[in-house]
Amino acid sequence: MICGFLRVVQRMEKLPGSLGRQLFPHFVLTKACLKTQPLRWGLLEQKKIVHPRTVLGFTQKTFWTQGPDPQKAKEDSSKQVSISRNQRGETAVSTSQKVKEAGRDFTYLIVVLFGVSITGGLLYTIFKELFSSSSPNIIYGKALEKCRTHPEVISVFGEPVKGYGEMSRRGRRQHVSFIEYSKNGLKRIRVKFYIEGSEPGKQGTVHAEVEENPRSGQFEFRYIFAEVSPTRSIVIEDNRSQES
Amino acid sequence: MEEYAREPCPWRIVDDCGGAFTMGVIGGGVFQAIKGFRNAPVGIRHRFRGSVNAVRIRAPQIGGSFAVWGGLFSTIDCGLVRLRGKEDPWNSITSGALTGAVLAARSGPLAMVGSAMMGGILLALIEGVGILLTRYTAQQFRNAPPFLEDPSQLNPKEGAPAPGYGNYQQYH
Repeated sequence: MICGFLRVVQRMEKLPGSLGRQLFPHFVLTKACLKTQPLRWGLLEQKKIVHPRTVLGFTQKTFWTQGPDPQKAKEDSSKQVSISRNQRGETAVSTSQKVKEAGRDFTYLIVVLFGVSITGGLLYTIFKELFSSSSPNIIYGKALEKCRTHPEVISVFGEPVKGYGEMSRRGRRQHVSFIEYSKNGLKRIRVKFYIEGSEPGKQGTVHAEVEENPRSGQFEFRYIFAEVSPTRSIVIEDNRSQES
Repeated sequence: MEEYAREPCPWRIVDDCGGAFTMGVIGGGVFQAIKGFRNAPVGIRHRFRGSVNAVRIRAPQIGGSFAVWGGLFSTIDCGLVRLRGKEDPWNSITSGALTGAVLAARSGPLAMVGSAMMGGILLALIEGVGILLTRYTAQQFRNAPPFLEDPSQLNPKEGAPAPGYGNYQQYH
């Protein structure tokens, strides 16, 4: 195709030395390429454009692309760098400027640390919520699994059983309501969520409670029961020991 | 709205798509207005015209890409809820990752992986914020830690179920 040919020619342009440059005027070539395959070449050109940046207070408005002529661009860049270096060398960096630089760097450092700490805190929260055994979501997950395999629950609700928590404003029901308290020095968490099956219109509330095992540090279920209606409950698990 | 009798799920997609579009148009409109203002020639009329042009051209595009992101995210989320059968923060994180991957599909597998990671981490942060907000606002309403007895649906210290209305505890 024409564009393949153009691409080959453009590759030839990149050859060091004047050979490539003499064969075709590269501006015409670039424009032709852009017309035939605008999107792809546009992206390619975009990658090689350097945006104007401010170096030590002078804004360098240089829109040069490396693509068609890397060597010429490299010479330009070295010239640019040498010019700016010359200019920098001529005006000595005074102490006030150094202090301002240091102050600016310090504020940037503070901002970066602040952002990193907030991100770290959020990631820690979500990690704890998803993986620690004392999080209500994990308890809800384990209790739901036990409900799903219980034959009486299946017979009442029908397979498959799905579970959800409290309805939030946006319509997502991820929040499981829970309460934490302690008795006899051990921490307990009580969780409440809803289940529904394929039987239409039947909704049940599941209450589960875990207690912390002091030896292993893990949380174990004390009881799980499903309330089908105000008068009927299905006890799925009941591990309460006598002294509690 | 606890009285919502219908399932949120398929209708949530439309909600999220529209909400994302609005966010994109408003946010993009503000940004493009400022950008158009700054990039216009000197003179207040030129600047306003530049600003209005920039908003007219770019704000719907930004709104559109936000809407695509929101709609795709919500679709995958509802699909996962249907598949797994439970509603979890994991659904949101996985949906964010898959949305990022799908929207970067044109750029090849490596870009898809990178975009998926970014989407997943972004959604994890948003979920973290949501969880923190819910927990802290709920804690404000809590009084002294209550003394809770075992619910009356369970027979005292035995295994058989006992019918009886449950004592309603203060959950949050």
